[in-house]
Amino acid sequence: MTDTLLLLALNGLIWGLIIALIALGLSVIFGLLDVINIAHGDFFMVGTVVAWFTLEMTGNFWLGFFTAPLIGFLLGAVIQRFVIQQVRGAAALSIVATFGLSLILQESVRIIFGPTPRRILPPITSTIPIFGIEYDVYRIFAALVSIAALIGFFVFLQHTKIGTWMRAVRHDRDTAIAMGIPAQRVYILTFGIGFALAAFGGAVAAPIATVDFRGGVDILPFCFMAVIIGGLGNLPGTAAAAVLLSFFEGVIQSVADPTVARIASLVLMSAVLLLRPQGLFKGFVR
Amino acid sequence: MSRRIAIERVIFGMFAAFMLSVPWSVPAVVSPFWVSIITEILIWSLFAASVNLLLGYVGLLSFGQALYFGFGMYGVSIGIDLLHLGFWPVFALGIVAAMAMALVSGIFAVRLTWHYFAIITVVFSLIFYFLAVRLKPLTGGDDGINFSMPPTFSFGGHVWSFTDSTFQYFFILVTVSLCFYLMHTVIRSPLGKAFLAIRDNDVRASLIGINVYVVRLVAFVMAGFLAGVAGALFAFFGRYASATYMFYQVSGEGVVWAIVGGAGTLLGPVIGTTLFIIIREVISTHWEHHSLIVGVVAILVVILAPNGLVGLWRNALDRVDQSDNKPVDKLQSRTGTP
Repeated sequence: MTDTLLLLALNGLIWGLIIALIALGLSVIFGLLDVINIAHGDFFMVGTVVAWFTLEMTGNFWLGFFTAPLIGFLLGAVIQRFVIQQVRGAAALSIVATFGLSLILQESVRIIFGPTPRRILPPITSTIPIFGIEYDVYRIFAALVSIAALIGFFVFLQHTKIGTWMRAVRHDRDTAIAMGIPAQRVYILTFGIGFALAAFGGAVAAPIATVDFRGGVDILPFCFMAVIIGGLGNLPGTAAAAVLLSFFEGVIQSVADPTVARIASLVLMSAVLLLRPQGLFKGFVR
Repeated sequence: MSRRIAIERVIFGMFAAFMLSVPWSVPAVVSPFWVSIITEILIWSLFAASVNLLLGYVGLLSFGQALYFGFGMYGVSIGIDLLHLGFWPVFALGIVAAMAMALVSGIFAVRLTWHYFAIITVVFSLIFYFLAVRLKPLTGGDDGINFSMPPTFSFGGHVWSFTDSTFQYFFILVTVSLCFYLMHTVIRSPLGKAFLAIRDNDVRASLIGINVYVVRLVAFVMAGFLAGVAGALFAFFGRYASATYMFYQVSGEGVVWAIVGGAGTLLGPVIGTTLFIIIREVISTHWEHHSLIVGVVAILVVILAPNGLVGLWRNALDRVDQSDNKPVDKLQSRTGTP
């Protein structure tokens, strides 16, 4: 009993770290562009599919860790330039536009990749004993990669010129433009980075999840939950909330089925929205 | 009389003539395939209208209207399948269930606005979606419930029932028309003016003595009513209810239809719904990847016509005004998207 609890909690923790990456992309796009991105789950899905194709074509799984975010970044930049930029300033319109994008991405993948879900075998097949159970090493590895990517992203945001630009534009767009920051280019970069984060999450998760053109549909609400519970626009809060939520669901799954766990976290999220709409971590991290 | 008013009168006359003749003669003229598509358009227009009532008139973007649609559906199918009630009791049960759910969730939801409102409505709908998936004995889960229709009216020896597709079409047409008429009446009433005041500036509305919270709640329950009627009709139409209709993607479609047609106009949602359902039904018979076209159309409309298709039309009328060298009346040319 305690073994299952620990195992599911560990699964939840690892999945939460991957979700943190994806939710971070959502939060960056939301915070900077004020776009409620309905297509974000599909960005994740595109990552899993790129990882699958990379493995099929080159026989090398690890290459997917580079191709997925790269293709994600390029697609994101193009989408920002030709779609989002055209509807800027109206959140309701951005919902319709990203809803359209979501359909286009899903349907394109269905045409190219096919409608049947597929699996990628983990590139590391060995197991190690944890809590008396043989645990997949790849999952541990995925968690470490996610942590590294999270740290890398925050370092990028705090210590590079583009990261500083992104923070400046988010903080005060007009002043930033007056100081000579190319806001339009920052928007394009931001959307690209948001897509790249989700696609990278997809590549990391591909051997754990299934590769399917509808694979993003269930991810999306979960990412929104993390963004809200962490506080809209609070990036470290988002990452922390994703890990906490997923861990919480993992713990509940040890006593009830996954649907009940999902309902419990949704109820928790309603409570957060109503009692602390600024998020759980306001005043804790800044 | 300006050319604009003349054009509007002619168009209104043509439109009235169209509405009074064409929908009523549909079953006599077109094939059963099209009758069923038009029936579906009517039902989903009502669903889009419930999104529009909140977004276009009160300025609240609900991403969870599928919840009330689903309650309308389940009220009907559980009423027939488990409680063995007749047609009118289950119709009432579906609508009351949807409105009660809207009242309970609205008490919490309308405390929030904008992004937070959009997200809490989708969260509430997801909670009940997962509950419906889980409570299989009651709801049938993803597989849904199938049921056979009880008769609608029986008078003497004659029985009218939805098994007669012409009767079904006219029943749905009359019900949907009544709902739109009701919405039209509410919008023109003092309550409707309060909606608009809150949409345009909720602080100012509260300063002139409007109880913003209560008016928003009333609008939310009304929207729940419209979605509930749509759900009940759809359950009658398909003799079927399923949890999948409560998923957030259904709510999202309603939002897209309303905005593409033109939020804040009575007929916008009808036009948006018609466009997308016709694309879906007509193209899907020729090409299985029709959602690609739906996606492209949605994006093109928001880029090219940010006020929706009805807004595009109004802009054209405004240009007629300008070519007559008259100043555009700002109040009249407002298309009302918040």
